[in-house]
Amino acid sequence: MIESIVLWVLAILTAPFFSALILKVKAFFGGKKGPPLLINYYTLSKLFKKGSVYSRSTTFIFKMGPMVSLGVVITGLMFLPIAGHAPIFSFQGDVIFVLYLLGLGRFFTIAAAMDTASPFEGMGAAREAFFPIICEASMFMILILFYSLTDELQLSTYFSGNNPLELWKTAGSPLIFIVLAFFIILLTENSRVPVDDPATHLELTMIHEVMVLDHSGPDLALIELGSFCKLFFYSAFIARLIFPFNMENLYLSGGVFVGGLILVYAATGIMESVIARYRMDKVPQFVLTSFALALFAIVITLEFVK
Amino acid sequence: MDLYFLSEILIVFGGFAALFLSKQFSMMRGGAVLLICTGCLLGLYSSVTMLFGETVLASFKYLNVFSLSFKVDGLSAFFLIVIFLVSALGTLYSYHYLSDSKKAFRIAVNYLFFSLLIASMALVVTANNMITFMFCWEIMSLSSFFLVIYNYEEEANRKAGYLYFVFSHVGAMFILASFGLIYSYTGNFTFTLNGEIPDTTKILIFVLSFIGFGSKAGVFPFHIWLPHAHPAAPSHISAVMSGVMIKTGIYGILRMYTILDLHTPVLGNMVLVFGMISGILGVVYALGQHDLKRLLAYHSVENIGIILIGIGIGMTGVAYNNPTMAMLGFAGGLLHVLNHALFKSLLFMGAGMVLHKTGTRSIDMLGGLLKNMKVTGTTFLIGSLAISGLPPFNGFVSEFFVYLGGFNGISMDRTPFALSLLAIISLAVIGGLALACFTKVVGVVFQGEPRSQAAENVNENGATMLIPMGILAVLCAVIGVFPEIFIRLSIKGVSAMGLGYSQLSLEPFIEMTGNITRYTVLFIAVFLVIFAIRTLLYRGKKITQSGTWGCGFTQPTVKMQYTGSSYAASILAFFKPFAPLRENHPAIQGRLPAKTHYHSHIDDIAELHLDKITRPITFLFDKLHWIQHGDIHLYIGYILLTIILLLFFV
Repeated sequence: MIESIVLWVLAILTAPFFSALILKVKAFFGGKKGPPLLINYYTLSKLFKKGSVYSRSTTFIFKMGPMVSLGVVITGLMFLPIAGHAPIFSFQGDVIFVLYLLGLGRFFTIAAAMDTASPFEGMGAAREAFFPIICEASMFMILILFYSLTDELQLSTYFSGNNPLELWKTAGSPLIFIVLAFFIILLTENSRVPVDDPATHLELTMIHEVMVLDHSGPDLALIELGSFCKLFFYSAFIARLIFPFNMENLYLSGGVFVGGLILVYAATGIMESVIARYRMDKVPQFVLTSFALALFAIVITLEFVK
Repeated sequence: MDLYFLSEILIVFGGFAALFLSKQFSMMRGGAVLLICTGCLLGLYSSVTMLFGETVLASFKYLNVFSLSFKVDGLSAFFLIVIFLVSALGTLYSYHYLSDSKKAFRIAVNYLFFSLLIASMALVVTANNMITFMFCWEIMSLSSFFLVIYNYEEEANRKAGYLYFVFSHVGAMFILASFGLIYSYTGNFTFTLNGEIPDTTKILIFVLSFIGFGSKAGVFPFHIWLPHAHPAAPSHISAVMSGVMIKTGIYGILRMYTILDLHTPVLGNMVLVFGMISGILGVVYALGQHDLKRLLAYHSVENIGIILIGIGIGMTGVAYNNPTMAMLGFAGGLLHVLNHALFKSLLFMGAGMVLHKTGTRSIDMLGGLLKNMKVTGTTFLIGSLAISGLPPFNGFVSEFFVYLGGFNGISMDRTPFALSLLAIISLAVIGGLALACFTKVVGVVFQGEPRSQAAENVNENGATMLIPMGILAVLCAVIGVFPEIFIRLSIKGVSAMGLGYSQLSLEPFIEMTGNITRYTVLFIAVFLVIFAIRTLLYRGKKITQSGTWGCGFTQPTVKMQYTGSSYAASILAFFKPFAPLRENHPAIQGRLPAKTHYHSHIDDIAELHLDKITRPITFLFDKLHWIQHGDIHLYIGYILLTIILLLFFV
């Protein structure tokens, strides 16, 4: 239990560090030196020290947005097995609970954006409301596969201990599809290229970044921390799937887990460096790919179960 | 049971009292509200006691021919609780809502039919034979018809009323047909079968009654009346009709399923498929609406879909001998009946307040209402979170149960597997779309800046309108965090369905609700900690106010805000085959372009194709028009002729 809590705290604390890896990889591809690896901590502490400017159009929802979006991810991380270790809490159906909590976070992010009366933020909000619908459908498709393999609806049975390895043994080839599908979900849910470009200069083409344009100071810091943690949350899934090994020693398995995480973040960085953002009307097709992959994975397992 | 009938009498008495007091306006309103509310609360109390007590029976002879017989079992008592609770709050709301003293007589008539509607809904769910059922069902349909045409001066409202009238009566014909089929085998009007009906006929009976009840409940494609009738009716009527009255259709389906006692997979599959279609298309059409109340009406179609998915999963569980799945599905579906009644009436009351104060239902004309309408805005936000199925509110609890039921079906093979898979995916898609739709409503109506004069400088008042909204919002949160007692209520309802699950251990279900309580409290605690940290971080900081950052543009106007139509456009484009879009937008031309406008309308495919059915029927009746010519002598001749013919044949 204490180890789980320590791991949970560590996950929140190190999430900004891992996100900086993406920046480093992108800088490498651009032939630049890039910002230091601790850049995000610097940004956060800078923001925490500042005051805020609020738009006259906003209401209390605007202030609730950052708190809820951080709160749901932090709560979600409590159910996530980190480095293969059992999570702090776990119950039958916790996956659905966590997914719906993330939905609550999305509701408030969108509502906070709509609060500003800005046309740009409305535009971002409309996109944020659309793409995750498809993500959610493919997420549940993946859940169905996991449920049919394990008969459980808990994150801990999918990702802790030797369980991922067992999954590979029973259904190896579908899991390859699942890893890809997860990766697409990760890119979409965390507003990365090719769905959204967090580094673009034009507000018209943004999704997530434009929604937080009016937030400033500690509020913005909470949002940033929340999105680092959210990226960590999704990356941890994939990291456990690509490196399913479980070591006896917690430090060793922690090392393997970090290795997996670095790989996922690096892959995200490479993605962002080598391809451009899709046109907005092409994005649904890209996201639907993950749904199709998950569906195929289920179809494959059906055949060798029978 | 005596208490229950007393409450019925009190409610109807309240309605008639209003009619006689219509000269004294405030006394009439006050008296009617007081009497009907007291009646409802009395009914609520008696139904709670009946839910935990034994099944009770009562019967009266009517004209010495038909016996009117009533029975309250767990299922009836569950629906009675929903009916009385929401009706009481709706009545309270009406006190300040119907405040136009120029329409005193009309308001009195409204109270009369409203009281009849409440009383008949309660009688419908307790009716114990076919005659009683149809009798109460007709009173319910007719009284709600008169409530829909409250503002009969407007042509759209008369049309809506007519559409509702036709639909409820065609629906009643289907129900009558199914009762007739049962009667042709059993020879009596009771609701008990002794196994003399063959299974294929039972399926036919179920299908007929499903169409009939489905048209009341608003199941796609029998929902067409719903988006017309709800905007036409006064808001407290919409709240009661959408929150409660359409649930009598669900009750009918469940009751018919109990009566037939047929556990083949076909029924479950059918209900499940209709549930999924209603759920997804309901919310897609809701997204495309510009009228706030019409949007909410389409959400009723969606939520009826979710309820049917739950019931369908339950029936599938029964058919494949999977009691856990059956219990999860039925309990989730029934709990969603209660939950939907709460948050939908809350949302309609909120919409009513908006309509009352701004005079418009058009979403794109509103904006920024939260600043001046704190209670309405906050409770509407809570209702929106609840209807989107998000924790820590009640919509999540029932959807969680239905999800778990669906996942139980994943362990089976072939048809139940495929249907469970589809059910889970549809629930996920419905959840996402509902979230999109309600961020649109909250974002465009209550947030941002007012888009027209109507939305500027509004205020909210009328304690009796605000209090029911507050109560409903609190109930949504309480069920969301402490669902145990409410799951127990719905399990009581399920066990009355005679499925033989009374021995089923309640422990796993109570454990689930315990988990929901524990972890929603955990989330709230995390949120409070973050709130505390944020407060600390802002201590002594400089906080300034300014305009919204316009990305470099310095002269923004409120017209530049994203509208509801543009917000929903990309999602609707994705569902284009099911939601054809009609646009009216003259192109901008020339160097000095003239003013232009944009109008869009999403067509309901059921409504589009309805024409294909109605056209041949109206053609046929046009041809028979000569029979009806207005000459009374010939009409008497018809009657004579019929009697003579009957003498020969019977």
